[in-house]
Amino acid sequence: MKLRLHGVELELLPERAVWWPARKLLIVADVHLGKDQVFRRHGVSIPDGVLHHELDALDALLANYAAEKLLVLGDWVHAPPAEGDAWPEIVLRWRKRHAQLSIDLVLGNHDRSLSGWLQRWKIDCIGASFMLDGLMLVHAVDAEKETLPAGLSGHWHPAARLRSGREKLRLPAFALRDQHLILPSFGRFTGGMDGLDRYGWQLLAAAGQRVVAVS
Amino acid sequence: MLDFQRQAWQAYAEGQSGLIHAPTGSGKTLAAWGGAVNELITQDSSGGGLSMLWITPLRALAADTCRALNRPLEWLGMHDAVALRTGDTSAYRRKKLLEQPPPALVTTPESLSLMLSYADASNRLKRVRAVFVDEWHELIASKRGVLLQLALARLRTLNPGLKVWGLSATIGNLDDALAGLLTADQQDADRPGLCIQGRVDRPIEIDTLLPDSIERFPLAGRMGLPQLRAVVDRIEQSDSTLVFTNTRNQAENWFGAIQSVSTKPETIALHHGSIDRELRDQAEQGLAGGRLKCVVATSSLDLGVDFSPVDQVIQIGSPKGIARLIQRAGRAGHQPGGRARIVCVPTHALEIIELAAVRNRLRQGKVEAREPVRLALDVLAQHLVTIALGGGFEPDRMFAEVRTSPAFSDLSRQQWQWTLDFITRGGPALAAYPNFHKVESVDGRMRVTDRRIGMLHRLNIGTITADGALQVRFVKGASLGQVEERFITRLRPGERFIFAGRSLELVRVRDMTAYVRKASSKKATVPSWAGGRMPLSTLLADGMLALFDEYVADRAYPTPESDSIAPLIALQQRASAMPGRGHLLIEQLQSRDGAHWFVYPFAGRLAHEGLAALLAFRISRRRPVTFSITVNDYGIELLSAKAIELEAADWRDLLTLDDLTDDIERSLDAANMAKYRFRDIARVAGMVQQGFPGRGKPVRHLQASSGLIFDVLKQHDPDHLLLEQARREVLESQLELGRIRAALERAAEQQLVIRRPERLTPLAFPLWADRLRSQLSSEDWQTRVDRMLGQLETAAGASS
Repeated sequence: MKLRLHGVELELLPERAVWWPARKLLIVADVHLGKDQVFRRHGVSIPDGVLHHELDALDALLANYAAEKLLVLGDWVHAPPAEGDAWPEIVLRWRKRHAQLSIDLVLGNHDRSLSGWLQRWKIDCIGASFMLDGLMLVHAVDAEKETLPAGLSGHWHPAARLRSGREKLRLPAFALRDQHLILPSFGRFTGGMDGLDRYGWQLLAAAGQRVVAVS
Repeated sequence: MLDFQRQAWQAYAEGQSGLIHAPTGSGKTLAAWGGAVNELITQDSSGGGLSMLWITPLRALAADTCRALNRPLEWLGMHDAVALRTGDTSAYRRKKLLEQPPPALVTTPESLSLMLSYADASNRLKRVRAVFVDEWHELIASKRGVLLQLALARLRTLNPGLKVWGLSATIGNLDDALAGLLTADQQDADRPGLCIQGRVDRPIEIDTLLPDSIERFPLAGRMGLPQLRAVVDRIEQSDSTLVFTNTRNQAENWFGAIQSVSTKPETIALHHGSIDRELRDQAEQGLAGGRLKCVVATSSLDLGVDFSPVDQVIQIGSPKGIARLIQRAGRAGHQPGGRARIVCVPTHALEIIELAAVRNRLRQGKVEAREPVRLALDVLAQHLVTIALGGGFEPDRMFAEVRTSPAFSDLSRQQWQWTLDFITRGGPALAAYPNFHKVESVDGRMRVTDRRIGMLHRLNIGTITADGALQVRFVKGASLGQVEERFITRLRPGERFIFAGRSLELVRVRDMTAYVRKASSKKATVPSWAGGRMPLSTLLADGMLALFDEYVADRAYPTPESDSIAPLIALQQRASAMPGRGHLLIEQLQSRDGAHWFVYPFAGRLAHEGLAALLAFRISRRRPVTFSITVNDYGIELLSAKAIELEAADWRDLLTLDDLTDDIERSLDAANMAKYRFRDIARVAGMVQQGFPGRGKPVRHLQASSGLIFDVLKQHDPDHLLLEQARREVLESQLELGRIRAALERAAEQQLVIRRPERLTPLAFPLWADRLRSQLSSEDWQTRVDRMLGQLETAAGASS
């Protein structure tokens, strides 16, 4: 689905990402890498296929669009790597396969105590927010607030509920209001939040092969 | 002293275990406890330590029970010998109980499990000589019963001479109930366990509140409010009345209705499982103390030892089972002649026949069975972590111990190894769960070494899981009770709903709490709670068919209901035919709505859901057709746009037992149902951390919905046994595959009677009336999404 935001042409992808053609820039939010490991460490057995699946999904997107840059709108990781964790090394191996790619990260609330690893992963941290072609790029906005700057953010993991008769479906969604777009979480192993439509947001669900407006 | 009490004391003194079954209020407690009293006062008091455990299913009952157990001991000069320990007990008090253990403790299965999780559990519990399980019939068919069986196996290992005594109301399978309390092989051994029958149930007198005229009585509907006037008259004529309903939703509605026409609305109160404990206590005490005239209740009042008898019990709608009717009637005080009287209020015409069947079954002395739960690996996983925390275990010995409990007597090596892997490595060796930490092997013993994991596990012990319940609380503070998350999330702030008999307005939802304020208007929705409606029991459904046979043969035993329903039966017979045990009635007719097929297997609502989907699936495999499906306790309606011609031979094919499980799973959205079912399993097995009402979520970074975990496991570890368990539970409990199979087996023996009435028959009408549309869909995911979106878009277009 194509979208013009403050004069910038963007494409909303059903793979839970945004493509910015003019800048050859792929944007994702809330990847939450390492979340499976946090669970395992606390005695909840989540298989590590979760991590590989996330990285594979990024691979596919980057290749499809021949992206030159990747921008992460916060929460690249779920928690700082702990002693003995293997996943940061796996991310490093993935990073080395994309040596030409530049990765920028807007810091999210989960991206704490990461500086050493960000360096090794060659990820540039660009602070809490920045402007690009008039769009504000930030991790989180107050979704209940009346007016918001033109721009893109993540954090809320918006989801849309579909209902038809007895059938129910819940899908990750983009949320759009005026000139601001909230991205769905890129990580598959993350929850979603319903009800953004209550605050006037239009939900655009990532439904299989396409993005569709549902409210 | 009564004979059965003496018998029980004698058996106890001989070191036996057993089961005492007798109705509520007949001295069952004393029968079980007498032996223990004797032992407590004669045992060397300097030895000290905990020696008796009394398990109660409801912590609300624990305080009453504790008092009742202390009474005989106090007469004999032993004070405060029985103490209380439940989830409500304060941390300080619990610590005191650990330091100075009382001789006896009243507790719940979950609280016992928690006691097993403390590092010195074996030292503290090894002197326990006897465990008494109260209201065992309430536990036997649930995972809580499984948890208790595992705890009993543990206590037996600590003290091989352990005596276990169960107390149960009458159920159809007392043998299973007894076996559930013993070790798997105990019944063949030298102390096989005794079944002691207490005083027989008081005869029950059913008084059906029949409508003036059957012609003007509704054929469908569940509320039964047309009978309101007659019910209120009965309430006003009596000093104290208990009105039982089958669902909380019905209770809220009836409460509001009775209040609105009663001359003294302040003397009516409401009591159901979602209402705050304190408000429920007020209702119970108000009725006992004479301040209240009437309490409208659900099964929340089915249990309770010290609840004083009321003058009159009214049952709204069919009780759906004999056991429930007996239990509820038992709440009525002693009538002349020692009879328990219950007024039954049918909510629609066919329920009058149900009540006639209840009467017959009661006369025959038949009661439903409660099937024990077996091989629940989620409960096993939880228990193993509990024991790993409580001092650890050696795998081989533990395997043997677990297999002594009847719930796991069939546990295979593979299932055991998988469960062990699940708690030690996260999953089977071939799947990847790096750096998983829960239970670790330390010098050959399985232990929990991480303190945080231990803490999380203790928070999650227990298997009763209020499904995503939110606390309902006034903004100003007072708590009203709990309501399902599912219901609240559909409401927006400012919207109104009725709860605990009050009209409320939602203010906001925060930290697992729904804040409300009083609403002025009475116009509001009443929440419906999941799992509220019980299907008609097999015993009662068969009873109805038997009754039909008798009517048709004109051999029916005359009941007060007979005259009332005779015109209805005559009409059904004239227009079509009566269903019966020897034949299966199938009706075909055409109406403005389309082409209908009605089938009446009388297998209960849940089994009919599966059966209907199965039939629709099998028909549509012959030729593509979309059905709208409706079910009730008696039958099934399949509605299609165009008539589908089916003859007896076709129906024989459709009703075949071949490929039953496969077809059922394909016909229903079984995958989705399993995902829903997995919520409880994941919680029991410790894969999701429960939020606690009012306390917020303890571990934010560990939040993941069970649905998400289900998807992840399905994708990355598809052979996970807990996924398999979810699938099994959907088939067995949710769809009642057993009843579906039984219905098909019976159909194979039955003659098929196909009728083509001109208009809706009395049996068809209720199905037609509460049609619940459900499209049979066999499309793939993307087309399903597209279709749903299409419908939404159309709806949006139409409204704008």
